[in-house]
Amino acid sequence: MSELVTLLVTSVLINNVILNQFLGMCPFMGVSKKKSSALGMGVAVVFVIVVAAIVTYGLYYLVLVPLGLEFMELITFILVIASLVQLTEMFIKKYSPSLYKSLGVYLPLITTNCVVLNVCLVNITNTYDFSHMLVYSVGTPLGFALVLYIFSTIRERLELSNVPKAFRGNGIALICAAIMSMAFSGLAGIV
Amino acid sequence: MLNTILIAVVMMLILGGILGLGLGFADRFLKVEADERVEKVTELLPGYNCGGCGYPGCSGMAEALVSGEMDSILCKPCKQDKKQEIIDYLKNTPGPDGNTINLKG
Repeated sequence: MSELVTLLVTSVLINNVILNQFLGMCPFMGVSKKKSSALGMGVAVVFVIVVAAIVTYGLYYLVLVPLGLEFMELITFILVIASLVQLTEMFIKKYSPSLYKSLGVYLPLITTNCVVLNVCLVNITNTYDFSHMLVYSVGTPLGFALVLYIFSTIRERLELSNVPKAFRGNGIALICAAIMSMAFSGLAGIV
Repeated sequence: MLNTILIAVVMMLILGGILGLGLGFADRFLKVEADERVEKVTELLPGYNCGGCGYPGCSGMAEALVSGEMDSILCKPCKQDKKQEIIDYLKNTPGPDGNTINLKG
């Protein structure tokens, strides 16, 4: 049990996907301009990753291993992820058109968000059992959503501050991201 | 070797079929009721996307016209006969709620 808690804390805070592994930078810079869209993106990514991880985990151990097709993992995982993202896109388009508009092209781009594939592949390479897989696949996107939200609040504040002309826009945002990354690496001592 | 390839191909086909079927059903349940008048009005507008009307492009203006947000065609590059065509079209075509739109000239 304590092992699972450690894994959760590690995947959310210490080994954070964005700030420590530098995955998923495209939505991190792209949809962090507004708090509401950052939150929507975070929820969409959590949903896609949790479902994709469970489906790919089952697919790997129940279909690919018995058939001796372990080398097909990459292409089957991408197929599953792409369909799930399509489903999420339809769902958001139906129930929240304003969120659909504000996420724009970044919504279908969850397909190529490397965080999703990374979680699915790490579950296999680290030979997690089902409970560890579940904890890791919930923790990682939660860390993603958390950092995305924190970063969007910083960027909303940045819009109002007087930044030197050369750093305006993405420049100062990247500097803030670097400082955040250093701050998060300070959390490495808590486990 | 050949056997493995065959198994892999069949497995991918089955997996793709299942996922495609799932998406097809999801599409039926999650269909968005789009007003087809928006598309038609967008076609009738000049399509320069100049933004002179204050909306983001011609599709934005078509949406405003159909939703009743805009009551006359404030489009600079639009020719008079095209404007008349849009007015006639919206006068004669009822929307999903059964109402037609009367625009001023």
